[in-house]
Amino acid sequence: MIKVIDLHKYFGDLEVLKGINTEIKKGEVVCVIGPSGSGKSTFLRCLNLLEIPTKGEIIINGVSLTDNLKNLDELRKNVGMVFQQFNLFPHMKVIDNITLAPIKVLKMKKEDAVSKAMELLAKVGLTDKAYEYPSRLSGGQKQRVAIARAMAMNPDIMLFDEPTSALDPEMVGEVLEVIRDLAYEGMTMVIVTHEMGFAREVSDRILFMDEGIIYEEGKPYEIFNNPQRSRTKEFLSKVL
Amino acid sequence: MFENIDLTLIGQGFFSVLENLWRQLKLLGEGALVSLEIFALTLIFSLPLGLLVALGRMSKNRLLSRIIKDYILVMRGTPLMLQIIFIYFTPAYLPEGLRFNLDRFVAAIIAFSLNYAAYFAEIYRGGIESISLGQYESAAVLGFTKSQTFFRIILPQVIKRILPAISNEVITLVKDTALVTTIGISELFRAARNESSRISSTTPIFWAGFFYLVMNFFVTKVFELFEKKLSYYR
Repeated sequence: MIKVIDLHKYFGDLEVLKGINTEIKKGEVVCVIGPSGSGKSTFLRCLNLLEIPTKGEIIINGVSLTDNLKNLDELRKNVGMVFQQFNLFPHMKVIDNITLAPIKVLKMKKEDAVSKAMELLAKVGLTDKAYEYPSRLSGGQKQRVAIARAMAMNPDIMLFDEPTSALDPEMVGEVLEVIRDLAYEGMTMVIVTHEMGFAREVSDRILFMDEGIIYEEGKPYEIFNNPQRSRTKEFLSKVL
Repeated sequence: MFENIDLTLIGQGFFSVLENLWRQLKLLGEGALVSLEIFALTLIFSLPLGLLVALGRMSKNRLLSRIIKDYILVMRGTPLMLQIIFIYFTPAYLPEGLRFNLDRFVAAIIAFSLNYAAYFAEIYRGGIESISLGQYESAAVLGFTKSQTFFRIILPQVIKRILPAISNEVITLVKDTALVTTIGISELFRAARNESSRISSTTPIFWAGFFYLVMNFFVTKVFELFEKKLSYYR
């Protein structure tokens, strides 16, 4: 579903990604872990071209993004993204945050978009907040709305960029639960996270990134119980 | 003691004072209408123009951005009074064939619009640049086009943020309309000065001040209303 071939990214002279190769299959949940500055977020942001790769190829559903930036609009409709800072639109009610893109981008009828949004809000447990402004929500609620907003576009793939890092500890659980539900429904997901317990539980595969490369990868129990390489061991000993 | 005072005389005096005052206020009122016209037309042209100027200033096109920057420098760096005179008289001094006469009122509106657009542009720019990158990114990943992003997501938030700064300029504009007297347009201030020298009294000038104050009272109220309307979110 997603194929990444020799992906490089420079910020000025700084090489942040030094050749990433991986493939993500339909329905797979992949968690990306690693120390800060290892390029996890940059890698994720390359997958929907929020960062333009300096070199290499990204193929999503058989279409090369890096070949032709014109494929970008089509891609973005199929790839949802959830940010660390939620990035809800503060001047719109929750319901409008969710329905605006389906109406304007997918040309969905307003009634359909609203009923779909209410379904999604029910799923994330926020039906009663549909007509509130984001400023009235807690961090965890905002992030759940952000997930519903991304899901409203019917994406094939969801990208999560540290979705719980900006949350107070007591709100992490409610957000992870929503993501977990998506995983069980078979959504293809790439999740950058510092929640090791969560990564171990939901993912089919763990990518451990360090210094701009995928340093080690494997099934969660392999990585967490029996890491093979030195820096993986060192990192896990610090965070577990 | 007061038996000999002719009450009708007092009455006449009283009426003539009232009549005078009424005549003065009518004159000033007529002037104020012209001021208001300049005020309204300037806003109608300069508010959208300012937005375009701001976008040009932020453009990735270096040349465009450079030109706009210089334009803003000139507009903010020279007196508006001078700009009014320049725009009014320049067409008449153009080489033969290009020469034409610009209506003074039109000249005033052009000068005011160009000048205020420069100030508004910088306010817009400040507002636009204060919106976090995350808003653009989340709009992008949802597939919004650039113009959808700007008009539906960025601009509404910008307007709320810049309202206090805009109200400053709009209040200044009310008072700046007095500058058009330099090219002989009779508006509020000129009417007051003419009347003042005619009757050798500063009373009309005082009344003109009162008119400006009243106009700005309403401007302030309108902005308070806008701010209240936009306070539905934080």
